Amino acid sequence: MYDLVWLLPALPFAGFLVLTLGGPRISRGACAWIACSTVGISTAIMLAFAVGFLIHPPAEHAHTLTLWRWIPLEAVGIPFSLRLDTLSQAMASVITGVGFLIHLYSTEYMKMDPDYNRFFAYLNLFVGFMLLLVLADNFVLLLVGWEGVGLCSYLLIGFWYRDPANGRAARKAFVVTRIGDAALLIGIFLIFAELGTLHIPEVLALAPERWELGSGVALAAALLILGGAVGKSAQLPLQTWLPDAMAGPTPVSALIHAATMVTAGVYLIARTHGLFELAPPAMQTVAVIGSVTLFTAACAALVQRDIKRVLAYSTISQIGYMFLALGVGAWAGALFHFMTHAWFKALLFLAAGAVINALHHEQDLFRMGGLRKKLPLVFWTFLIGAACLAALPLVTSGFYSKEKLLWDVWISPYGGPWFWAVAMAGAFVTALYSARLVALVFFGPARTQVSARPGGRVGFVLVILAIWSLIGGGIELPHTFAHVTVFSDFVAMTIPTLVELPPGLDAQLWTLLAVASVIVVAGATLGAWLYGAGAPAREALAARTGAVHRFLMNGWEFDRLYDTILVRPYVRLAEWNRADGVDKAVFLITGLTRAAHVAIQRTQHGQLRRYAAGVATGAVIILLIMLFQ
Amino acid sequence: MNAIDALAILPLIIVAAGALVVMLVISFYRNQTVSALLTIITLVTAIVSLPTAGGVAPHMVGSLLRIDAFALYYIGLILLASLAVTVLSHSYFEKYRMERGEFYILLLLSVLGALVLPATTHFITFFLGLELLSVSLYVMVGYIFTKERALEATIKYLFLAAATSAFLLFGMALIYAYTGSMAFYDVAVVTQIERTPNPLLLAGAALIFVGAGFKLSVVPFHQWTPDIYQGAPAPVTAFLATVSKAAVLAVVLRFVHQAGLLAHPGTFTALAVIAVASMTIGNLLALFQDNIKRILAYSSIAHFGYLFVALLSAGELGLEAATFYLTVYMTAVLGAFGVVSYMTPADREADTVADYRGLFWRRPAIATTFAIMLFSLIGLPLTAGFMGKLLLVSAGIAANQWFLVLWLVLNSAVGLYYYLRIVVAMYTRVDSEQSDESHRPSTPPFALTIGAVLTVLVLIIVLMGVYPEPMLEWIRLITYRQ
Repeated sequence: MYDLVWLLPALPFAGFLVLTLGGPRISRGACAWIACSTVGISTAIMLAFAVGFLIHPPAEHAHTLTLWRWIPLEAVGIPFSLRLDTLSQAMASVITGVGFLIHLYSTEYMKMDPDYNRFFAYLNLFVGFMLLLVLADNFVLLLVGWEGVGLCSYLLIGFWYRDPANGRAARKAFVVTRIGDAALLIGIFLIFAELGTLHIPEVLALAPERWELGSGVALAAALLILGGAVGKSAQLPLQTWLPDAMAGPTPVSALIHAATMVTAGVYLIARTHGLFELAPPAMQTVAVIGSVTLFTAACAALVQRDIKRVLAYSTISQIGYMFLALGVGAWAGALFHFMTHAWFKALLFLAAGAVINALHHEQDLFRMGGLRKKLPLVFWTFLIGAACLAALPLVTSGFYSKEKLLWDVWISPYGGPWFWAVAMAGAFVTALYSARLVALVFFGPARTQVSARPGGRVGFVLVILAIWSLIGGGIELPHTFAHVTVFSDFVAMTIPTLVELPPGLDAQLWTLLAVASVIVVAGATLGAWLYGAGAPAREALAARTGAVHRFLMNGWEFDRLYDTILVRPYVRLAEWNRADGVDKAVFLITGLTRAAHVAIQRTQHGQLRRYAAGVATGAVIILLIMLFQ
Repeated sequence: MNAIDALAILPLIIVAAGALVVMLVISFYRNQTVSALLTIITLVTAIVSLPTAGGVAPHMVGSLLRIDAFALYYIGLILLASLAVTVLSHSYFEKYRMERGEFYILLLLSVLGALVLPATTHFITFFLGLELLSVSLYVMVGYIFTKERALEATIKYLFLAAATSAFLLFGMALIYAYTGSMAFYDVAVVTQIERTPNPLLLAGAALIFVGAGFKLSVVPFHQWTPDIYQGAPAPVTAFLATVSKAAVLAVVLRFVHQAGLLAHPGTFTALAVIAVASMTIGNLLALFQDNIKRILAYSSIAHFGYLFVALLSAGELGLEAATFYLTVYMTAVLGAFGVVSYMTPADREADTVADYRGLFWRRPAIATTFAIMLFSLIGLPLTAGFMGKLLLVSAGIAANQWFLVLWLVLNSAVGLYYYLRIVVAMYTRVDSEQSDESHRPSTPPFALTIGAVLTVLVLIIVLMGVYPEPMLEWIRLITYRQ
């Protein structure tokens, strides 16, 4: 059965091909059917695999399907091979499941768009590449998927390309992630040069044999891979592209820039965990990047006016949590949070999309309000999503995943109270801005008239995601509650856990849970008060902290920082240095080529007698070489 | 000749018989479509007969021909390419609204000549095959004599081909004078015994390279190429660029390898000089060309320079790489000329870059096909051309030909420019609609046949780009059994 794994990426790719080749000949209805059914069938297959793995895992908890050799060289035979293990399953089930729901949502959301078919073609292509990325068994194929999703991200951010601002956002996303991609590429070269293989399981097996713990090579490899992960997952210092990426259609933000592609970095680090374990400083770096990112991005989310930018910053912040977990070796914790985050963040984006559509493309939070009565379904589902984001105790999946993550951070040998404290501070701010979102959008006076109500498919998708966001946390519960460890056992089949639970810490765990719950509830209450009854206090505060407000509004001014220290000096240097030696060398090459072309072109004069003379001369030259060398 | 001999050369016999049948039918019933159909039937029958011939392989037919796996592979390749050319020709000539049935007699005779060459182990068959191939080609090049430059191209090709054939003959005579034999194998015996080969033998080999080099259009025997490519009808150009060159390359590969000439440093240097010069000059000449047929002519010079890298990397890997690359190159070139044939209206050929400006927005399928063919010629990953270049490079590295490999890579970068220029033109939006209707594409029924051929070629390019293993297994089998 597991040999059918090739169908997972093949079906969306086939959908893309059909939609592209068919072009405008395919009706909108058929297009929606093709796009949804390809991803839908992939989802069904994926579910069957997951059930199969839970009931009867295959030998070594992994199934590798080698389709054929792609690069036919003895030294570097690179096969098309897909690896189905529990890590790729965890990723692939979210990609297909959430991907399918978002396809379904889009059939209604995008129905007025003239480029309906193009949208679904890109969306299918994205799902195909994303599945290829997580199923790839070697770095080359992984890179194909990695670059492929980058391309789709670019195409979809700039989907409404007639507005130049969208094109700029798409270019920014592409260029900034490319910095990370370059690092990843160099890392792959390094691994190949050192270990002589690109097959990921072989790399993981060989690395501990060839490289000592803490050796420089291992550190370099891990840090270069981290560079790629940081770019793709929008972590510090390469996070600046994600808020601008919100220029794309909302389903794209939900699928690519919240649930799947931006978590590719988390996947990459988990996949190459063996290299990071060999380089403790790299692990520390991951944890530090994660904790700094989660706090800074949460603060930036607190003051945004655009509903999608709030969610974008919150995505950066939540992925920061996952990086923190990865940095302390809590692989299962990171992946569990990835899963719950994919559900509730997709839910939040899709509900936000419904709000934006209802308010005639209004995205400013301060022009929303009072939608609780007018859009009850959207209200309740958004509320559930926000509660999960804030990790409201007991009833939300976000609570269970975040608590597991925080607990792992607390007890991990790589972690400790300091990381935990930063994460807690982040959790407070998260609760605050979640409450702010709900209060501003759904409570208070109505500031914009509702012009459209979501239809059946949008409602259906929102409800499904909301249910998952509520009950999904049940696959992994703290041992003090019920001791359900389905998910961490599932992940541990592929990645042996680093964070062992020492016995006799129940009291500690209870205390931490209580502290976290109090902080979250306090944050949420404060948020609700500030944006409800306490509005005068808030305005007084805002008046006094205008500078801080602006600073956070602009995402800690990273754009300006990069503009000042990187972009503008570079441009100035380039302008000042317009006619330098390097340019001259480059132009010399083109000039020489052109001159050579002109010179040789003269020999093509079209005169037969001189052609004959040319042949004779050539014959003499060949004769001379052969006889006298 | 006994029965086994007849079985071994069955494909050749079928093609010869087919030529006769077409000739007889034309004397009673002159119809282009009927002739084309008969040609197709002949070629398909010949392809079907390949396993029968393979059953008795390897087999020497006297001392003249050797039917082995190598020969059969190239025979199959030539037959398939000829099949594509036949389909292209039919739809192309149909536009001229004249009875053109006689063309197919020439085509089949030319194919027959080409089929002889890969099996050649003897100078007699070498020369006969080459002349059979060429004499029909002279007429084919100028077949539509009302066409601009057609007669000029014919005259040039006739003169230069005759002159280089004389070189070839003289070279054979010199070798015969020294060894007293015309079989490749006897030359090999002599080269193995003598550590420094006799000047007579070397001069003979050099003159043979001149003759073969002309057909392969490598520098310095390349100057005719663009004029003839441009003047000939597009399907004939396709034939010239694929079938004719594959046949000659096969015989050169066999001659060089079997006669053991590469062991001699002078021969190696001479061929290396040809390779480097062809890569460089071919690419440089193509750079600012505006005529697509001329671009393809110049690029063919460069591509045969690349192929010579594999030829010079002796051993199985080199032979394997050369055979694979040639197959890939033929597919892409047939596709490119297929597009040109498809796009050509009755009055003139659609062969300037300007004719293809904005093509994607008018005919996305045909533009995409052309783009895929050009990508393969560039050697972009996921196309067959990438695999071909990869094999060439790895064969070169395995033989320690670092300079040649480096030169190949640098030249591929130069080549990017002129191929992409066409692609860019195709994807540029043309605002005014006036140019649209000036290029009428083929009328439907024939467009369909060309479309089918192009689809098959695209599939081959993509398939060999992602799944090269079956084809390679096949080629390895051939080269090992040789």
